[in-house]
Amino acid sequence: MIFASQPWSKASALWGPVSLAGVGLTHLLRWLIRRHGWLSLPPFALLGRVIAATLLIATASYLLTQALSQAVYGTPVAPITAAFYHRLSSSGQLRNLFIIILGVHAAWVAIYLAFAVLRHRHQTELRQAQLGKALQTAELRLLKSQLNPHFLFNALNGLRSLIADEPARARDAVTHLARTLRYSLASGDEDLLSLERELEMVDDYLALESMRLADRLRVERDIAPESRTARIPAMLLQTLVENAIKHGIAALKPGGTVRITAQVVEKELILRVVNPRPDDTTNKTSQGVGLRNATERLRLLFGSRASLRLDLSQDGQATAEVRLPV
Amino acid sequence: MKALVVDDEPLARRELRRMLDAFPAVQVVGEAGNVDEARVRIEELSPDVVFLDIQMPGGTGFDLLTQLDRVPRIVFTTAYDQYAVKAFDVNALDYLLKPIEPERLATTLRKILATPPHAATDAPLEQLFIRDGPRCWFVPLREVSVFTSEGNYVRLLWGKERPLLGRSLAALEVKLDPKRFFRANRSQIVNLEFIEQVELGAGGRLHVQMRDGPEIEVSRRQARLFRARATVG
Repeated sequence: MIFASQPWSKASALWGPVSLAGVGLTHLLRWLIRRHGWLSLPPFALLGRVIAATLLIATASYLLTQALSQAVYGTPVAPITAAFYHRLSSSGQLRNLFIIILGVHAAWVAIYLAFAVLRHRHQTELRQAQLGKALQTAELRLLKSQLNPHFLFNALNGLRSLIADEPARARDAVTHLARTLRYSLASGDEDLLSLERELEMVDDYLALESMRLADRLRVERDIAPESRTARIPAMLLQTLVENAIKHGIAALKPGGTVRITAQVVEKELILRVVNPRPDDTTNKTSQGVGLRNATERLRLLFGSRASLRLDLSQDGQATAEVRLPV
Repeated sequence: MKALVVDDEPLARRELRRMLDAFPAVQVVGEAGNVDEARVRIEELSPDVVFLDIQMPGGTGFDLLTQLDRVPRIVFTTAYDQYAVKAFDVNALDYLLKPIEPERLATTLRKILATPPHAATDAPLEQLFIRDGPRCWFVPLREVSVFTSEGNYVRLLWGKERPLLGRSLAALEVKLDPKRFFRANRSQIVNLEFIEQVELGAGGRLHVQMRDGPEIEVSRRQARLFRARATVG
């Protein structure tokens, strides 16, 4: 037996520190990898650095082994190595010792590296998924129709005028404005609300627009009872109505009638807003923004199961139609 | 000072009138609810200042300005289009944000009252409001070097700009100051103050070198007039 020839205390005086050094040095490598973000490097850059570091560590361990062996046994080749490779010359024994030490370190580092790379990739994927979701949420929030500042300031201006002449109407207007604002702010919390709730808000909104436009704005509604419980993106109908007023009624000297209809056909809610419009709709581009956002919002919430269409094929009339699953 | 209030919202007009009541120097002589009405009122009432909304049925406040020969002092009133007003190349425009703040209104009126009123209606044009594509200018006519006819339009040579005016050269000519502007040929009017050098050409024509570059040919018929003016002037 080879082990019988040497006392355990001497063996541990040699191999104990060598093992500790191995653990310490590979730990240092781990620290280096983390500290300098080597895992984010391209594969060959990472491999090159790790191989160089492993060679350095193995060399250090090898030199340490020799030095300790010299101190403990009085020869650079420890008896166990000499016994193992008794047929080789002492330089050959040392070479094999280095190869063994390098192999042990390389295996250890390789196992660690494989694990670290896998974990790193997993974390990156996770982060990307979270990022994508956050991006989508942010996008949705951005697309959520907010009250048009133009409408808001015009309403306040009308209100200022009413305060002196018609205080009762002014008080009503404040109520409508408060409810419109509250709904608009709350719509940020929930994606979908009932059509019934949205219609209440649209009524408040229309009351304020009537204050501004006076008898130029007329409204007709035809809402099928079964459609009232349908859930729609908050502020969707408001966007359609606002569009109808901005590009239709407000652009016409005599004004006109906005028709709002809702029905459920084959598990699909069909919302329509019809309004007269000037013949030469010169500002077609601005007409797009609100509706484009609404379309994008529908896509994010319902995918291809919902649609928004603006029909301008009839002269002097615009029809906005939304279809979404109930 | 006579003022006209232009806004499509009755409540907005009422509120502005009420606010203007506090300034005895300003009399509101009328109001209008759209661009066409406004143009008629401006022509018949010739107000000194027009409070002008931007978004109106049948055209914007900018559209109104392009239709006017003689643009009165303009104060835009807007709920949220201040960016549209600020985007102008000129700072000659005042604007008030609705709801209008009484202090801001007072400041604007003080500024307007401090500047001399516009000249009489039969006086020559001094400036033009021009919109060419997305850009708008108040162009002081004495800074324009050459007017060139382009079909029913007129191209102005004004510093580095070449804005296109939506009226004919003949219609413009009668409005210009005859002391300053001269019809050089069938298609061009030149600003006499921009002439650097005059050379005799063939057949009694003249070649006029303008200070900012172009060389203009004065037709034979006009050349006689030009010489007559030069000797008198």
